Amino acid sequence: MEGNIEELRGALALIGYGLGAVGPGIGIGIVAGNAITAMARQPEMQGTIRTTMFLGIALTEALALIGFVLFFIASG
Amino acid sequence: MILATECDVANEVICAPADVTELFEFPTIFTIGGLEFSRTHILMLLAAFVAVAILYFGLRGQRLVPTKFGAAVEGLVGFVRDGIARDVIGPEGTKYVPYLMAMFFFLLVGNLFEITPLINFPITSRMAIPAFLALVTYVIFMFVGFAKNNFRFLIDTAWPKTVPIGLRWLVGLIEVFSVFLLRPLTLAVRLFANMVAGHLMLTLLLTSGVIFIAAIPEIGLKGSIGVFWFGLGLFMFLLEILIGVLQAYIFTLLTAIYIESSIHFEH
Repeated sequence: MEGNIEELRGALALIGYGLGAVGPGIGIGIVAGNAITAMARQPEMQGTIRTTMFLGIALTEALALIGFVLFFIASG
Repeated sequence: MILATECDVANEVICAPADVTELFEFPTIFTIGGLEFSRTHILMLLAAFVAVAILYFGLRGQRLVPTKFGAAVEGLVGFVRDGIARDVIGPEGTKYVPYLMAMFFFLLVGNLFEITPLINFPITSRMAIPAFLALVTYVIFMFVGFAKNNFRFLIDTAWPKTVPIGLRWLVGLIEVFSVFLLRPLTLAVRLFANMVAGHLMLTLLLTSGVIFIAAIPEIGLKGSIGVFWFGLGLFMFLLEILIGVLQAYIFTLLTAIYIESSIHFEH
């Protein structure tokens, strides 16, 4: 019984990371999509928009990366 | 790890590593006065040295027409000064250019160690380095915030006057939590996790590709899957160049943004 639970820990951590990656995935899609729309509408603002886009992606991505780190901690 | 069952090296083609940390932890090479030096420490010193050397040789001697290398370094320096410090922080940003520049070049070199042949190890994938840099950034923007706004920095963050009274305590709570705790944490974890993920991915894809291809005489056509892994590994290799540069840029950009939010606290 003990061994089974030990084996499940890794699988559960993997499922947890998968769930944690859903939200940031959607979020990054929205950020990048809207940035493309903005760049297509106002090509002269490209530089500013790109900087802001990377910033938005970085802030959104942090959640997925925390999940990635927690995966290693939980499955350890 | 779930895959870490007993593996007979003599019979199995490929064995799962016993522990993932063996990719990131190196044995101590020598000790100076209680400080243990491993490969990571030497690479860290090398990264600092390379960053200084790039700046020294790139900007040595003011010429009318700079060399190609000098022009490239000048471009990077100008990018940090104008694109990050002055654009984000404003005219006061010039004061913070040395810090941002040092951090950007150190992180750039450290991240690109990941894809440098014979080194192949991003020093930023050890938590201590991004954590320390994030801590320095935290101290700077806390210091600037309290020096410019006194204790209004803390009070107005916890009790924002522009928010309706019913929600003010909740917004204040979230703001205090995010400004004083989450900012340095996510700053460090973002860089660290990106580099760990990249290093793991490259190691797994490229080594498994090589192992499978080398095993073709023994296991026959099944081993040709290694070509696919190796190809994917090469693609990731290119992607890691982009990620390494991007993460150095984002770390510096976020540092500038945090400093800016401490200086121009009112709006």
